[in-house]
Amino acid sequence: MRADDPHLKRLTPPTLTISEKFFLPQIAAGLAVTAKHMFGVVFKDKAFTVQYPEQQEIQVGQPVNLRTSAVYRGVHRLNKDEQGRVKCVACMLCATACPAHCIDIVGATAPETWPDREKYCESFVIDELRCIYCGMCEEACPVEAIELTGLYDLTGLSREQMIFDKTKLLSVFDVTKEGEPMRFGQPPRPEITPPTALAAPDTTATNP
Amino acid sequence: MATIIINGQEHTLPEGEKLNAIQMAKRVGVDIPYYCWHPALSVVANCRMCEIEVGSKDPKTGEIKMIPKLVPGCQTPAKDLTVIVTDSAKVKEHQRMIMEFLLINHPLDCPVCDQAGECGLQDYSYEYGQSNHRFIEERIVNPRKDVSSAIQLNQDRCIMCTRCVRFTREISQTGELQVMNRGNHAEIDVFPGHPVDNPLAGNVVDLCPVGALLDKDFLHKQRAWFLSKHDSVCTRCSTGCNISAEENRGQLWRFKPRFNPQVNDYWICDEGRYSYKAANDPALLSAMYLRQNNDLQPAPIDQALKTVGETLGRIAAAGDITAGVLSPFLTVEEAYLMASYIKGLNAANILALGPVPTQGHDRTFTPDQVKGRNGDTSFIVPRPFTIHAEKCPNRKGVEAILEHFQGEVITWGDFEGRAALGDFKAAYVASDAIDPWIDNERAASLRSKVEYLVVQDTTVTPLAERADVVLAGATFAEKAGCYVNANGRLQYSEAALPPRDGSLPDLDVFAILLHRAGGPVRSQEILAELAEAVPAFRAVAGGRVPEFGVSITEPARVGVAPFPFNDPWNESRVQVGAKNA
Ligand code: SF4
Ligand code: SF4
Ligand code: SF4
Repeated sequence: MRADDPHLKRLTPPTLTISEKFFLPQIAAGLAVTAKHMFGVVFKDKAFTVQYPEQQEIQVGQPVNLRTSAVYRGVHRLNKDEQGRVKCVACMLCATACPAHCIDIVGATAPETWPDREKYCESFVIDELRCIYCGMCEEACPVEAIELTGLYDLTGLSREQMIFDKTKLLSVFDVTKEGEPMRFGQPPRPEITPPTALAAPDTTATNP
Repeated sequence: MATIIINGQEHTLPEGEKLNAIQMAKRVGVDIPYYCWHPALSVVANCRMCEIEVGSKDPKTGEIKMIPKLVPGCQTPAKDLTVIVTDSAKVKEHQRMIMEFLLINHPLDCPVCDQAGECGLQDYSYEYGQSNHRFIEERIVNPRKDVSSAIQLNQDRCIMCTRCVRFTREISQTGELQVMNRGNHAEIDVFPGHPVDNPLAGNVVDLCPVGALLDKDFLHKQRAWFLSKHDSVCTRCSTGCNISAEENRGQLWRFKPRFNPQVNDYWICDEGRYSYKAANDPALLSAMYLRQNNDLQPAPIDQALKTVGETLGRIAAAGDITAGVLSPFLTVEEAYLMASYIKGLNAANILALGPVPTQGHDRTFTPDQVKGRNGDTSFIVPRPFTIHAEKCPNRKGVEAILEHFQGEVITWGDFEGRAALGDFKAAYVASDAIDPWIDNERAASLRSKVEYLVVQDTTVTPLAERADVVLAGATFAEKAGCYVNANGRLQYSEAALPPRDGSLPDLDVFAILLHRAGGPVRSQEILAELAEAVPAFRAVAGGRVPEFGVSITEPARVGVAPFPFNDPWNESRVQVGAKNA
């Protein structure tokens, strides 16, 4: 989009009221919230602390709306299309966008049996140790093939185990697809208006 | 001198230059977008992208009269008092409409298109187009097809500029490609059984401003923005075509032609185009070897070089003769240092030219200014393109150096003959040839006649297997330096790859043997020394090589300097992203 695009909306920050400009009432309001929470913890046993790992909030494959946050950025997955083929078209835009340079893709011409596809990824490797979980890759992907899941308990016994190849990334999709459906299952069509169709599930209610 | 008024500014064009509006505007920094026009092809004005407002100024009254309709810039000569307007609302609206038309049937599949990043449609969509697509009717979908075993055509991306068709008619003069059908159903195709397989075929891929014609060798392997480009010279034959050697992650991925009006114009041949593969060969020598207990053992670089220096020094001190063989694959800088080294050991030492590989006959394509073309072709400077039978880059340069050092050139055949007579105690053969260049039998007979044999090469050859010392030199992609082509033009070639593990560029090898002070050598300083020492190389005094090279056999021509030209979508691209990932 260009700077002079007529669709761009220019916003100005709201002006502060007198009490906001004074700051002190705001500080007092903040302190009141802190005090309320302290009261809750000490007298009403409403602590937020979780005894991890003995007590685990989320199990793999659990529906996404039970999670602490639907926008948590954990381990990557490579999505599959309706026919079970990897969705990735090996455009390498994720590798281009990745600030940590941790994505390595080998592109190849799609097999003859995929007449609707031009190109696919022959190999797709992410170094999960180098990754900074910024989510730029899923942002860049034009076909919604790469997504960061809510899986946060990422452990391994060696560096090699933490370098995820295509098979492993596709298997992450298999274990998480129930709980976290693909954010963009269908290619966008004119009749679907993205904002409503994509509204994130309300997750705040499940906070203890 | 002509005065041309572009967007209200007066510019002058020197006498004798014939430019059209696009070239003239580009020279003064004004872009007129175009697709179908190419400086070496006839003008068809079919893409309509370059339409501008044109008029003329009356020399007496100063009154400006504009042509009421827009006119294609490619067909507008930059004559005296031509008025060109490229930035009016009328022109801009026209450009937007053309972009929308061109994209009507386009699949918009940039993510899987190899042209992305160097695509005329992408660049101009951004600059002159619009971000939405209003066409909701069904698009014409064309399956991809092969126009030759090396070139694929994705017809739905084609914008029918016919550059490829004109290339095969006017430059290669083979005429394989043509437009089939009409209007909305027009497509590029070949006659069944007549693929685009002429020796220059790959150029249609470079010419295609969009991703319609694709090189199957490069297909889907890399993205254009990952590649770092190095201005090199092709070493596949003695034409010395200017190329851009494109590298990523320590590997070459493709060669693309670079404009040089004195050598290759805008083209390269397919043999040269795919010769990059030799630089990626995993079997290249990856260590230096010393013969110990009658077996070649890998040795550290410094130890190998020390052994060579000491042994050759001892042989020279005993008054025995060492023969140095300089292959025509060495750069002039390397040849100069090697000759200085061998002659410096013992003035009676002999220098010979390595084997000069030849294959077939020279083949020249001579595009005509008028024949086979249509429309006004007076802008076109037709330049012949020759693929030489001599498959090495620098015979002339090495010969000039040999002549300077010993007054004559001893050919490889003469050298073998003299070696067979037992004239030489030791031989130092520097090769770096691309193809296998010696067979077992000849290697064995040479080996048996010399007591000490040093072979400097990039691949394991029968001679290397029999050598006392094997030095791993640099491939054409790993060395920087100058080559003198078949017409005596000296050109600089940049290194595209770092030296392989275990190898050392030949220039450094000779510098170490010569005990040169001052750390790693730079080819420019050697070239400057060479220009001082050898009169034939006076033209490159100070080690400065002009952009299009310089002829060392004929005096510099005066005249209008050719103006470098590149399609805008191939120009000055930035590199982003996972380059070093
Ligand atoms: S989350 Fe960020 S750092 Fe990790 S792979 Fe994606 S783009 Fe790279
Ligand atoms: S951006 Fe998406 S489609 Fe492109 S390579 Fe990455 S995962 Fe594959
Ligand atoms: S294939 Fe490329 S060069 Fe040939 S007409 Fe189509 S767009 Fe032009």
